[in-house]
Amino acid sequence: MRSHQGKCGYLRLDGYPSNGLEQASDSGIDKAFLKDQFPELIDLSDSHHASRSQQGDLLTLIELPQFQAPQHAGLTGMDPRVKNQLEALQLHPDRHLHFGRDPELPNKDTLEFKKLESFSLSLNASVWDPPSLNTLWFELVNGAYGDVYRAKALMNLPDGRSMFFNWIVSQESSQFLPLEEISAPNGRPASLSELIVQGKHLDGLRIQSTIDLCLLNDAVLEMHQMPLRDRQKEAIPST
Amino acid sequence: MNHAIISCLLANLPAAEAVLNDIDRQGIDTITCLGDLVGYGPQPNEVVELIRKRGIATCQGCWDEDIIDGLNACECSYPSQLAERRGHLAHQWTDDQLTDENKSFLASLPTSLRRDRLLFVHGSPNSQHEYLLPNMDAFAALERVETAGADILFCGHTHQPYVRELRDGSIRVRLQNADHDCDQGEELTLPMRKIVNAGSVGEPRHGSTNATYVIHNDATDEVEIKEVAYDVGRTCQAIVEAGLPKVFAWRLSHGFEFAEQAEDASHVCER
Amino acid sequence: MIERWALVSGLRGDLETYDLIQRDLKKTRGVTALFVLGDLVGPERNCDALLDRLKNPHRGDLKPDCIYGWWEEQLLAERGFRGERKADALRLSQGEDAVSALLNTVNPSHLKWLASLQFGFIELDCALIHGSSSDVGDNLTSETSPLILLDRLTRLNVNRLFTARSTKQFHLELTGGGINSQVKDLNGKREQQQEVPKRSVIGIGAGLNYTLYDVGSDKTHFLTAGRQTKTKGMGFI
Repeated sequence: MRSHQGKCGYLRLDGYPSNGLEQASDSGIDKAFLKDQFPELIDLSDSHHASRSQQGDLLTLIELPQFQAPQHAGLTGMDPRVKNQLEALQLHPDRHLHFGRDPELPNKDTLEFKKLESFSLSLNASVWDPPSLNTLWFELVNGAYGDVYRAKALMNLPDGRSMFFNWIVSQESSQFLPLEEISAPNGRPASLSELIVQGKHLDGLRIQSTIDLCLLNDAVLEMHQMPLRDRQKEAIPST
Repeated sequence: MNHAIISCLLANLPAAEAVLNDIDRQGIDTITCLGDLVGYGPQPNEVVELIRKRGIATCQGCWDEDIIDGLNACECSYPSQLAERRGHLAHQWTDDQLTDENKSFLASLPTSLRRDRLLFVHGSPNSQHEYLLPNMDAFAALERVETAGADILFCGHTHQPYVRELRDGSIRVRLQNADHDCDQGEELTLPMRKIVNAGSVGEPRHGSTNATYVIHNDATDEVEIKEVAYDVGRTCQAIVEAGLPKVFAWRLSHGFEFAEQAEDASHVCER
Repeated sequence: MIERWALVSGLRGDLETYDLIQRDLKKTRGVTALFVLGDLVGPERNCDALLDRLKNPHRGDLKPDCIYGWWEEQLLAERGFRGERKADALRLSQGEDAVSALLNTVNPSHLKWLASLQFGFIELDCALIHGSSSDVGDNLTSETSPLILLDRLTRLNVNRLFTARSTKQFHLELTGGGINSQVKDLNGKREQQQEVPKRSVIGIGAGLNYTLYDVGSDKTHFLTAGRQTKTKGMGFI
């Protein structure tokens, strides 16, 4: 996407469940992160933009969660249900790549499993105590709340930054990437904030109750934001 | 003669029993405890009663003090909101569990114990809440021992056992005062002193689940650090049965501390 | 350009002495700051006029930056500004009469301002405290063990500690030395040599005896107010 000269578009399909395997709900984390990195990104799930899918120079990335590799390589291996879905959206893919099979995609972002649970939590308008977030994430990916295979989140910090957290069991460490956009220090942020976890024996209640201990209340958030507002005022030159 | 020093039992009965059994097996009669009999762990009454029954000389730890004086006893901040909330929860639970008799025992504990030139404290001679870390400024470390009038200072609180010998020290000074200009200066030779940290029985922080304690030989002044394996699973089961946060059991069973150490470990209370 | 600090303490309500010092400083080159390191109040005389002058400097006064000292601590404790603590140290050392006298020398209207004073200042790599960071009553003198002086400097991680509690004027410099530290733990043994840093503790005096400190050249001048006129034209003035 970075090297493409024209516009980019993005669409995430829901995918289809399989025996004992639960698809994680799409909480919009990937879309929000990509939109932050590429502000001109066209959201093809929005019907207003559907017609733009016909633009000649548009590079469209379509994500499809799938539990097994397709039986055949290339476009012929596409699930017919998916093909129909895309045709209805007037999308005709030029390529069909699958993680773990096609060398163009990183192999380490692949998991194979027989049973999978999913837990997701909306954290919109929540702001974390940063050291508590470090502790929670450490405990989460190291198995304190169940075996976690995959975890992804967008989290808000008191200085206005939003962080993209990404972890997969096959990788050595987590990815922590700051988003470009920073929220103004005026109360709770409006940016998307979500947590998605996939794994086994997940204890959602305990994850949630631990998160509750980590989030800042209004008074503490104000304590963080007041000096930031003062610094902003000082930085504005007087006329 | 050998004597054993234990510290930071943190209401962990299986660990405390294993350590005392290990000490008994070696025929050591004299045991000193550096406090924190309770804290986070699931068996505060049992551990206090074990120490009382054995008549082990004990000084008061920071947790023991906080149970008696209340949480506002110390203004020190936790390293995170999560650690603070967990700490407060554990404090409240421990306070609710402890019998009045055991609380009276904790209240009766002295802040330090002395035997000849050996001094026993929980944190430092200044405070139960001051950490004496192995990498703290060497002169500051020496000051702690020397000002307390001891040759060897035994401490706990950090949960990481070590033996630190401070030797061959000197300080050169030069003085100017109102009556005259600078003098030539003089050199003060510093005595050799030791700080011995006994680690922790109930909540180790050295990367393993084993309990630690130390043995001091009062003839040679040699100190040995001992590690003792114990049935961590029993403690974890007790944590869960007591209704304490399950994450405490997870952390203990993986060799992690219940709560992270404060960043400013050199901080001393302003009480 | 010379930058000089004037350091004063132990006025204990003596407006005349403070006025004398201000007049001295007017005649001295390069004085950019005046620090009053506590003991603004005391039991000997009414302190209100001095406190008014410190809070509301006269035109031409060098504006004082004040911290609280041992006497303020006793007063504020007795007046309920220190939780449950009272003026126990004063009571023990000088008796109930001294406590009563102290209470009578300061109008309660000044208490809020006194309670707002800080424990000390850190300026550049200097700490300015009445006693030390260990305690407001920490009595550091030139006779204090260098090990203790070094500890007080290390606690604040500063190169200069200005202290007033002893009322003495002295500049004690740590010029060298070292120590060997060997640590044994479950991972093995390691050894380290640590040098004594070049640091100083400076007692600034009290009352008429005050101190000027040249920031750039690290020179200390011990003065007595009112004697300036005698040495005018000589020395550093």
